[in-house]
Amino acid sequence: MKKPVVRATPFHARAAAANLENTWVTRNGITLASSYADANDEALAARLRVVIADISWRWRVMLEGPRVVEFLAKLVTRDVSKLAPGASLKALWLADGGGVRGAGVFARYGRESFLLAASAPDPDWIAEAAAPYDVKLRDMNEEGGLAIVGPTAQATLQAAQLPVDLEPLAFRKLSWRGIEVTLSRFGEHGGFEIWCAPDDGVLVWDRIARAGESFGLEPAGVAAMDMLDLEAGIARPERDYEPARDGTASGPSPVALGLESLIDVEHQVFSGRAAYLASREKEPKRLAGIEIDSDTPAPFTPLLLKGRVVGHTLRSVWSPALRRAIALAQIDVSCFAPGTKLTLTLPPSLAVPELRTASACVTALPFLKVPDSIAP
Amino acid sequence: MSAIVVGGGVNGLVAATYLARAGRKVVLLEAKDALGGACATTTFATGFKGPTIAHALTALDPRVVAELKLARRGLKFAVRDMPTVALRADGKHLVIGRDVRATARGIAAHSRADAEAWPRFRRELFDLARAMRPFWWDEPKRGWNLPPTIATLRRQNLAAWLDSRFESDAVKAAVACDASGLSPLVPGSPLLLVWRGCQEMCGLQSAAAIPLGGPGALVDALTAAAKVASVELRTGAHVADILVKDGAATGVVLESGEEIVAKRVLASLSHSQLLATKAGRSALGIGESTALERSVPAVASAKVLLALNAAPNFGGSPSRGRFLLADKIETFVTAHAASRAGCMPEELALEVVVPTAADPALAPMGQHVVSIRIAPLPRHLAGGWDAAKAPLAAKAIAALERCAPGLARHVTAAQVLTPDDIAKRYGEEDEVTVERVMSDWPSRILTPIKGLFLCGAASEPVGAVSGRAGRIAAAHALREAAK
Repeated sequence: MKKPVVRATPFHARAAAANLENTWVTRNGITLASSYADANDEALAARLRVVIADISWRWRVMLEGPRVVEFLAKLVTRDVSKLAPGASLKALWLADGGGVRGAGVFARYGRESFLLAASAPDPDWIAEAAAPYDVKLRDMNEEGGLAIVGPTAQATLQAAQLPVDLEPLAFRKLSWRGIEVTLSRFGEHGGFEIWCAPDDGVLVWDRIARAGESFGLEPAGVAAMDMLDLEAGIARPERDYEPARDGTASGPSPVALGLESLIDVEHQVFSGRAAYLASREKEPKRLAGIEIDSDTPAPFTPLLLKGRVVGHTLRSVWSPALRRAIALAQIDVSCFAPGTKLTLTLPPSLAVPELRTASACVTALPFLKVPDSIAP
Repeated sequence: MSAIVVGGGVNGLVAATYLARAGRKVVLLEAKDALGGACATTTFATGFKGPTIAHALTALDPRVVAELKLARRGLKFAVRDMPTVALRADGKHLVIGRDVRATARGIAAHSRADAEAWPRFRRELFDLARAMRPFWWDEPKRGWNLPPTIATLRRQNLAAWLDSRFESDAVKAAVACDASGLSPLVPGSPLLLVWRGCQEMCGLQSAAAIPLGGPGALVDALTAAAKVASVELRTGAHVADILVKDGAATGVVLESGEEIVAKRVLASLSHSQLLATKAGRSALGIGESTALERSVPAVASAKVLLALNAAPNFGGSPSRGRFLLADKIETFVTAHAASRAGCMPEELALEVVVPTAADPALAPMGQHVVSIRIAPLPRHLAGGWDAAKAPLAAKAIAALERCAPGLARHVTAAQVLTPDDIAKRYGEEDEVTVERVMSDWPSRILTPIKGLFLCGAASEPVGAVSGRAGRIAAAHALREAAK
């Protein structure tokens, strides 16, 4: 399964041409533009106009077999059996001890096939768990995926002669002026995603870019999209937290990551349920937002209340929409109320090598609400 | 019905009887037509009876014997304490008996230093083993701690442990025989030896005993005890699945379609067998299931019964002994390595008992039964076990012939049970691991399904005929019922 070679996406030719500063990152073994010109401008464009972002790095796997529903009942924290083809839900999968292994969208493609789309891969665990149910995993990562995000995303799609009547979490396979694509609304930022065969990548990019020209469409890199994630208050595996990798791990706790709404306790049989039920009352931390009284982001830093450590930040960025540094944080239940004033130490930099403390204010999540978001 | 016991082996019978004695209405369901499971006496040739699998009892819990009054129900012993006889190719057979001085004198023929070391070693082992009784015999009381030596032994391997105490291969191989479940190179393998030393038969620590009439006599006594306690015994009742509702066991369904309802189900299943049931598959977590699927035992044992028309002659050794055939400790190392690779070991390690020496009624007058346990062997042999059945028996007889000349000529009949046969008859066992030996009883008995308890030999620290798992599982079930 492991592919040591770093791959390019089907949109690479266009991304390379648009990448003015030639900044690249690797995510899930795929080369992506970190930013095309300025990440802050790109994040603002997603708030004010429309952007396209290459999301081919998302781990996508098709689960197929006559017993796939039975298998997913065991794997997934919500009941997928009632999904009709064309519908999907967002859920977690846990280790036996209740630790979060991953979060993703489970989309029903057919009676016996589901697509799992997630931001971090966990192929070994899922393949091993699927084997006794004769469920096969089919890697879908060859396909290209383009997210269209922003207030004028719908208008862009209309201009590109694509249907826009999709509900959030729905998806549809369609033939779009001669090419087969899948249109979906799995994203947390209220936009659309379009998935295509590798060879059609450039064509899809060009068609969308041309349709969005009059709406000020520009490409957005990974850095800008990560800012949107943070503003939406979503903790991501491998960026905000280390997912459970041991079969019996009890951490990270879904409660402390604000992912509780993705667990249906009425759903009886999923792996890790007993451990989750036993530990959820005892979990001392909750996910909250932090507005830092500074322009310097402070990732993974302890948060103090009267000299006592009460939590720590996760990822932190300067938010162009809020015009200040923000962070996700895991904070003790006792200090978790919005408005609580905490202090933290800013990371030293070239300009300011001294340690400085800054005040920080607990904020309810999300920082920014987007219509039609599927964020929990 | 207040409780259902699935599987009528020794532990199943013990569990059912304890529950019934506590006033519960209990039904015991056995798929086969006879009770007892792997603990049985079989007629393998006209007039010849022998132990199907276990040919000596080493771990039967004395509390089970006393509390269920098994002596009054007909359990008598033909031999209470078999000396261990290590057969040597050079004819210098080594007898290890209860008499420490006599044993030391015997060892002196192999090594003077070892003769001096023997009393010290035995005292060390027996003291440590007795200190472990609260842990292996029962659930330890609060405040009981593992002896510090045990933590050291978890990291040490048997070969190194014995090398630091003895110099002669004869002594080391004879001692290592009792810990053959793990390779002597595995860290923690001395713990199997300590576990063996922790057992007690007929009031004697670490003894091996043979019931009069073979192991089947123990089952007969247990069946009588179960009947007196008014357990409903049903043979030929094959359980298809365990019924579970809202995470709790509600009964079982038989293959005939009949459903039996009960709040508590005690099953003589290994963990891998539990995983094979529909109820187990849905209750066990993914991590646990995949770990179980990966830990298929690679090493198993085979059993050979021989009918002899003359007494076997082991070079003047007492014929009531437990004869061991293993040249040196490396025999076990290479046999384990070969078994893991799925190959037939070049040299077999044998444990031989002559049941007819003490219990002549098992064979026609003047004729004998020889019972051979061969371990370690590969659980899955390259090329399959069916084709290797006859060569395995021939190889075992040839090995025995070297120490008991003339034996092969007198063989009139043989029964061979390969690891495949044993697994087919009695189900797949769980792997022997140091983790299992050192795990506590609740982790082996309790399951993710409320009201379902595992009470079979797989719930013992080391698979053995002991009845302890049944006794403790019954206590758990009663405690839960009282809540």
